[in-house]
Amino acid sequence: MCGIAGIVRRFPTGVSVKTLGKMAAAIRHRGPDGYGFYIGQRVGFAHVRLSIVDLAGGAQPLTNEDGQIVVTYNGEIYNHPELRRELEARGHVFRTRSDTEILAHGYEEWGVDMLQRLNGQFAFAIYDRRSEVVFIARDRFGVRPLFYAQPNGAFYFGSEIKAILASGEVDAAMDRRGLDEVFTFWGVRPPRTAFAGIASLEPGTYGLLKDGALWLRRYYELDYPEAREEPADVIEKLDELMLRSVGMRLRADVPVGAYVSGGLDSSITASLASSASPHTLRSFSITFDDPQFDESEFQREVAEDVGSIHAITAIKRDSIAATFGDVLWHTETPLLRTAPVPMYHLAKLTRERGIKVVLTGEGADELFLGYDLFKEDSIRRFCLRRPASAGRQRLLDRLYPELVGRGRGGEFWRHFFLEAGAPSDPLFSHLPRFLLSARIKDFYTPEFKAGMGGVDVLGELRGSLPVRFFGWSPLNKAAYLEMTTLLSPYLLSSQGDRMAMAHGVEGRFPFLDHHLYEFASALPTGSRLRGLREKEILRRWASRILPHRIKERRKQPYRAPDVPSFFERGSPAWVAEALNPDALRRVGVFSPTAVAGLTRRCGAGFATGFRESQALVGILSTQLWHRQFIETGVSVQPLAANGADVVLSETIPALS
Amino acid sequence: MQTGQTEIIERVRNYVYENFLYMHTNFELRDDDRLLEKGVIDSMAIVEMISFIESEFGIRANEDEVSEANFGSLSCVARFVGEKQSSALAS
Repeated sequence: MCGIAGIVRRFPTGVSVKTLGKMAAAIRHRGPDGYGFYIGQRVGFAHVRLSIVDLAGGAQPLTNEDGQIVVTYNGEIYNHPELRRELEARGHVFRTRSDTEILAHGYEEWGVDMLQRLNGQFAFAIYDRRSEVVFIARDRFGVRPLFYAQPNGAFYFGSEIKAILASGEVDAAMDRRGLDEVFTFWGVRPPRTAFAGIASLEPGTYGLLKDGALWLRRYYELDYPEAREEPADVIEKLDELMLRSVGMRLRADVPVGAYVSGGLDSSITASLASSASPHTLRSFSITFDDPQFDESEFQREVAEDVGSIHAITAIKRDSIAATFGDVLWHTETPLLRTAPVPMYHLAKLTRERGIKVVLTGEGADELFLGYDLFKEDSIRRFCLRRPASAGRQRLLDRLYPELVGRGRGGEFWRHFFLEAGAPSDPLFSHLPRFLLSARIKDFYTPEFKAGMGGVDVLGELRGSLPVRFFGWSPLNKAAYLEMTTLLSPYLLSSQGDRMAMAHGVEGRFPFLDHHLYEFASALPTGSRLRGLREKEILRRWASRILPHRIKERRKQPYRAPDVPSFFERGSPAWVAEALNPDALRRVGVFSPTAVAGLTRRCGAGFATGFRESQALVGILSTQLWHRQFIETGVSVQPLAANGADVVLSETIPALS
Repeated sequence: MQTGQTEIIERVRNYVYENFLYMHTNFELRDDDRLLEKGVIDSMAIVEMISFIESEFGIRANEDEVSEANFGSLSCVARFVGEKQSSALAS
């Protein structure tokens, strides 16, 4: 795993190594093991390396045999040994053992159709000097990030936005619509970002850049060709896919560890990794002082069961506020949740213990309908078929017993779910979450709201749905929305890639193997969510490898402390500074009067619900994000060419 | 002690303004406005409001009394509190 960046100029005016050095420096955390540059008249690439495969020979940028194809790449191609054999059989001569070289020869052999053959998580740029085309691409589910900007006909790209900003040639400005998406979906849906003029390449998409024009095309589409019945060999097939996916994700020249949450999904990946790994598995967990978030009892049980050497990072309430600013620097977007913060600490621990690669259970809830939201969708539809039935409505109480028991919400609780939208609305499954999150918009200043020009992000989402969406069953519609609005824009980025890569740790996600996704999405939904039993088929299969207690454990949502973290005695000074009326006016998104009311309630300990806790985190993070990126800006010392592992150059020297 | 209907409404209205409408300073909350429908409170906030009403007016709402009919608007709250206080005085 690494970081990439680059510049493509419209005309051959040169790309300076100093500018590339600044771009690389901004994302050095992604690749602390080395760096390199390609410097040309129109095209310059930078690369920072986290060495995992071919430690000695995998430096980048890298070219094909005649130097006409130049690659800078972040990620893993898990099936690289198979592709290498295929390419060698076709006459390609490899100089390294790295998976990067697959891209150079694969592009030469198959062009952009190479993407269909790749099994992995990747973002890359390939410069074809013969045709003067730059080819960029991102993996199917958006595991690895790739951002770009096109000011004045030039093209800038980077694994993180800060690389683009560090060039000094692209301005940082707030994208109001992007922020409005954060305050609805928890993250910004690609291609939009929180920065005006900076785009995120959509998952499963590639781009061809020639003569200043970028032509984008999707090479992978999510689909749900749901079968009526389970195939007879469904468990055997799942077994084969799981073993193969984990086996491929253990391919590395360094030991691979595992994150263990205590839930089903990461227990599966840890168990399979432990069985297949040549090393004693190293596992890592987050524990919380607060018992409402803590799962350490189950984590210990899993670690004992799989025989791993286990380490924990203990999150206290003050850990959240203390590192929130660092986390925002890496997420590059405001947040509504503090949940990325513990992930940041977990990656730090992992790296300190000498592990660069971890397997996690990310993706299983989306593939096998694990989230409560899916049950909620089914129950709400069931209730709305007979709205007068009190018995049906009480099913909602069963869904969130911890909240109902604490809250005595009664009829009001049910009302929230049943009035959130009509079953005919394509966003029906997600409207309670979207509408609850959007309550933070009550805090907008009138000017910010007016500047939005009547944007309706829910309307835009409805309008963006593919035609085939309308033919899917309700649960598959919900699964698609979850994949496209939350998994890639938030979970895989703010909680995933950014937190791990902040400490040079690569996350690998066996459940996000596209063969496994295609298997799961073709199953009857009843195989995935049977009644109110989530991930049914996964549990059935997991009885082969996990103890009963872990296999049958009910899903516990991953959450972290929020409001009290920022309002306890001794909370850092930046909290009050960020919520100060002058600071709020400077940013202009949130009303000082409204925020004063929220601050008063937070300080008094009254802001205990989702609505106000999300508002507080959203406001604080927007203030910090704005200060770091818009007010202060990205300023770094460039990485010098004389310290690079590799500097490739066109024959004609760069002009500057 | 029995509290007058108007006083109940005003005390609850002030509470709602201070705690749930602080971000909408121009919002006019009328006696019969439906609190949930108008987006004044949500299902989490209702719990907080009920706790306030219980301690402010010395009553106790049973689980089955947490309903739109009793807490759906300021008028509903005033009627419910009044009835609860009356029945406590009578017993």
